[in-house]
Amino acid sequence: MITLLQSDNFILDSLVKFVQMSGFMAFFADGGWKFIIMIAIACLLLYLAIKKQFEPLLLLPIAFGMLLTNLPGAGMFHSEFFAGGHVDWAQFAAGKAGLLDVLYLGVKLGVYPCLIFVGVGAMTDFGPLIANPKSFLLGAAAQLGIFATFIGAYALGFEPNQCGSIGIIGGADGPTSIFLTAKLAPELLGPIAIAAYSYMALVPVIQPPIMRALTTEKERKIKMSQLRQVSKTEKILFPIIITVIISLFLPDAAPLVGCLMLGNLMKECGVVDRLSKTVQNELMNIVVIFLGISVGATATADSFLNTQTLFILCLGILAFSGGTAGGVLLAKVMNLFAKEGNKINPLIGSAGVSAVPMAARVSQVEGQKADPSNFLLMHAMGPNVAGVVGSAVAAGILLAFFG
Amino acid sequence: MDKFANVGWPEMLLMALIGFVLVFVVLVLLIYIMKAMGWVFTRQKKAAKVAEKGAAADVHDAISDQEIAAAIITALKLYKSNLHDRESEMLTINRITRAYSPWNSKIHGLTQVPERK
Repeated sequence: MITLLQSDNFILDSLVKFVQMSGFMAFFADGGWKFIIMIAIACLLLYLAIKKQFEPLLLLPIAFGMLLTNLPGAGMFHSEFFAGGHVDWAQFAAGKAGLLDVLYLGVKLGVYPCLIFVGVGAMTDFGPLIANPKSFLLGAAAQLGIFATFIGAYALGFEPNQCGSIGIIGGADGPTSIFLTAKLAPELLGPIAIAAYSYMALVPVIQPPIMRALTTEKERKIKMSQLRQVSKTEKILFPIIITVIISLFLPDAAPLVGCLMLGNLMKECGVVDRLSKTVQNELMNIVVIFLGISVGATATADSFLNTQTLFILCLGILAFSGGTAGGVLLAKVMNLFAKEGNKINPLIGSAGVSAVPMAARVSQVEGQKADPSNFLLMHAMGPNVAGVVGSAVAAGILLAFFG
Repeated sequence: MDKFANVGWPEMLLMALIGFVLVFVVLVLLIYIMKAMGWVFTRQKKAAKVAEKGAAADVHDAISDQEIAAAIITALKLYKSNLHDRESEMLTINRITRAYSPWNSKIHGLTQVPERK
């Protein structure tokens, strides 16, 4: 009888223990409501990715990573293993690290963004930029958003290194934002990545009103002259020259620019088609999955549900708007000095905010609204890819300042 | 965050300005390099085109003399007129056989002439 009672107690205890250990109980514990909100946010992001198709290739894994990390008790990600900007290797050796901890190493060590840049490079045609190098100026002007936001973030009380990470959202370049934030302010990685990718998806909504407000009907109708043909040799030399020059100027930008240009060289040289196709497809897709899940995993309730996240989301809009305005305004200034027939349609200036090729498409669409016979896409691709280089340079500068 | 203890508004503004200017400096440098590269390549292309045009112009100059041209044309005319036409001696008429069909048969389509007996 005693044995049976003892056995009953054991079963009861086990059941109580099982219930207490379940994730459901954590919802009713102190601060458990945060998990519910984070799961709801993750579901909202999944809805945006699947139903609204907002950058689904990245937003979907990010949102799912967010969902996984906020399931109480699952222990898939431990932000404390990466506290203070260092990796606690002892925890990994002890086998305490979860799956997302292991995947996050690729972000923490700056591997994923660079691998993605190899793929981006292999998919980018720098021909329009080589044909019209002045596009570099528009790509540089569009980085205004980065530095304006940098100041704005400081005004809102962020630390200087965090300001750099928040500002880079204006580069409209996901891998660059993640690369820089993982180095400067890893605690803000979740909100910054989500802001960067969400606003990149919203480029067709954010940019057109600013473009129309800053240009006249006459300016929007400007037709640009045909770009010259670029030889294969020029296309091969371009990535080599850019890598050498930028890496010598800004060694901190070398990983990003080097990888971008490596991918481009693979594409342009025409002798490593297999590698080029691999980095464009298989490698890119695999890394995107890892990057998305692990970045989403950093969006824990404690790091996400605070006023800082709200500020970052607001500053993200400022960053994109500032970049758009910077590019358009510089194009207008360049027109003051350009001869008739060599004028630039200011609409292509907005494409300087990276977000390849969405921003260039926005320029094309807005140009055609003003004059349906005007084709700006190829002209806008110049500043667009210059923006990628420009944001990588800006990231290198911020890393040199605060790294 | 002691590292940034001495960083205030003046430093932040200055860093933003320097950063923005640096982006421009690097990219302007790239513009000049790209322009130089473009200049070299377009010059090479132009030189190749001029050489091509020059070769064509030389040929044109050689026969620009009307008398020479007339002499060449006359010689060609005489040469051709002296040549006899030569048939290929190849028969090109082939017998074509078609499958019989009563639909286009004249014998069925026409009224036959009555036989006089």
